[in-house]
Amino acid sequence: MAQLRQDYAEFEKRNTRIVVVGPEDENSFATYWQNNSLPFIGLPDPKASVLKLYGQEVNLFKLGRMPAQVIVDRDGRVRFVHYGHSMADIPENSEVLELLDQITQPVGGA
Amino acid sequence: MPKVSLNTPAPDFTLQDFQGKTVHLSDFKGQANVLLVFNRGFM
Repeated sequence: MAQLRQDYAEFEKRNTRIVVVGPEDENSFATYWQNNSLPFIGLPDPKASVLKLYGQEVNLFKLGRMPAQVIVDRDGRVRFVHYGHSMADIPENSEVLELLDQITQPVGGA
Repeated sequence: MPKVSLNTPAPDFTLQDFQGKTVHLSDFKGQANVLLVFNRGFM
């Protein structure tokens, strides 16, 4: 999350909203957002409805839910899916930003 | 195993954000790209 926070402006430049879905309730989200000054959209999903819809892997015996990231383009299509295999298994921002460069039309074009 | 495939329409969903505002994934269609982050829990 800190990694995304750091490059937030880069995501904004690419007309990309960051939407975080997690199993905590709204109070946990609110506290975490406040403590970390997060500019993202935060969606508590205690029933894991979206997590299930998108197939986030659950490892009951080890770490619980694995992180996952999905890029949806302006047309509503899935352009990138990353399912983590451990807590730390998240893609580098540079990888994600590069992909966004490919799918984002320059605004204006001068 | 992944349940969503590349270059297919992303499954729409509706949730309330932590301030109670309703958010549909489809709200962003035609507006912006979305990076969906499925978090496993806050530290």
